[in-house]
Amino acid sequence: MNREDIEKKLLEILIEEFEMEDPGLDDNLREVHGFDSIDAIELLGHIELILGYDLTQEEKKLAMDIKTINDICDYVLNIHEGRS
Amino acid sequence: MDRRVVITGCSAITPIGHTKESIVHGLQAGVSGVKPLKGDDILADVLHSKVFGTIDYEIDYNFHRKFTKTMAPVSFYACKSAEVALKDSGLDDEFIKSGKIGVAFSSTHGSPTLLKTIFGSFASKDKEQYKKLNAVDYLKSMVHTTAVNITKMFGITGRVIASSTACTTSSQSIGYGYEAIRFGRQDAMLCGGADEYDTTTIAVFDNLLACSTKYNDSPELTPRPFDKNRDGLVVGEGSGTVILEEYERAKKRGAKIYGEVIGFACNNNGGDMILPNVNGITRTIELGIEDAKISPDNVDFVSAHATATKMGDVIEAQAIAAVYGDGPQVSGLKGYMGHTMGSCGAIEMILTLYMMEDGFIAPSLNLKEIDERCAMIKHTQEVMDGNIQTAAIQNFAFGGVNTCLLVRKL
Repeated sequence: MNREDIEKKLLEILIEEFEMEDPGLDDNLREVHGFDSIDAIELLGHIELILGYDLTQEEKKLAMDIKTINDICDYVLNIHEGRS
Repeated sequence: MDRRVVITGCSAITPIGHTKESIVHGLQAGVSGVKPLKGDDILADVLHSKVFGTIDYEIDYNFHRKFTKTMAPVSFYACKSAEVALKDSGLDDEFIKSGKIGVAFSSTHGSPTLLKTIFGSFASKDKEQYKKLNAVDYLKSMVHTTAVNITKMFGITGRVIASSTACTTSSQSIGYGYEAIRFGRQDAMLCGGADEYDTTTIAVFDNLLACSTKYNDSPELTPRPFDKNRDGLVVGEGSGTVILEEYERAKKRGAKIYGEVIGFACNNNGGDMILPNVNGITRTIELGIEDAKISPDNVDFVSAHATATKMGDVIEAQAIAAVYGDGPQVSGLKGYMGHTMGSCGAIEMILTLYMMEDGFIAPSLNLKEIDERCAMIKHTQEVMDGNIQTAAIQNFAFGGVNTCLLVRKL
């Protein structure tokens, strides 16, 4: 799984499941799309499905500072590479 | 401070329709919204009562996910009726977000649909089952979920009252909303209640032998308020919202005024939590009339709680007779849709406003042969022309809670 795969999957999820309109990779998700803490928790569930394994509580806490889709891609990639 | 309070918007979602046109048609044509109980894989098969006041038509919600992510079915009903009532009121967005309007709204259980999911995970032997609980399940199921989903959807920043008192939930909402404006704490209040399709509520009444069971093959013939052949209540679903507003403000902006809330009373029987109490109910009605500063002779229509239980209707008839004699016309509106639980007070208020506006009085549907123990009051058995000037809406709940709301045509 490379960054392109992760980005593609994330965009699919954000558009279809979160009904986000025209998400930009560097959009501030909270300010532009109203993405809140509830969404963040739900997105982590989707990320676990992408990765194929459960995230630890510590790994989940690292996600709380994420602001953009590029940040999410970095986050997922770091965990994926760290685990493998 | 003692300000006048008027109703400037309303909307009901009921088993007989969710527009004024469909509801008035239902009331005048004798349409029943009681249908065969739907299966639910949990309780429906073992219940003795097989009927339900059902909303079986499509509703166009068109709510964005940013709102629906914290909404269970009960909040869809609540937010839709709130949306339509706010539009009906003509209140502008600036006022709605000003902090001068609050919300008094609730439901009986929050969302039973969500609670079943949550309890299902507790009951599972699978330790991983807890992961199926969503982070927002509490927000969807908590008792005040309807009130705060409404505040979120419309940006309302005033006070929140979530009086969850079963069958008096929404009559209390209206009453406490009325007091909030009357005594100057808010300039307007969005008030009401909602409840969703739920078999656990039926099970409670079923186990108390309070549910209708004789008409399972002919749902439209039950419930039968005040009728000799009534055999209990029918649980239903629905939502009702009224917009209350300080009178001078409403008048100044040229708002349509459905009626003026002139009195509210709430008390408790202070004893048995289930059995109706004639002294408690009579006192509630008296307190309502005292609050409205009118005489019982001024009341020309009573919307009775009238769930069609064996004893409840008799006790209520005794209380009405004790205060009003056989003066006002009395109707039990649950005959059309069953007992919509937390929403019934608001729905019955809205139906009364529609009758007030259109100059008619709807009968107690299915009241064919009046129980002689209820015969001392003036029952409505046919659709009547009627110019209702002052009406009382009374509701009673488990726990011994009683309410009476008085509304006057302007």
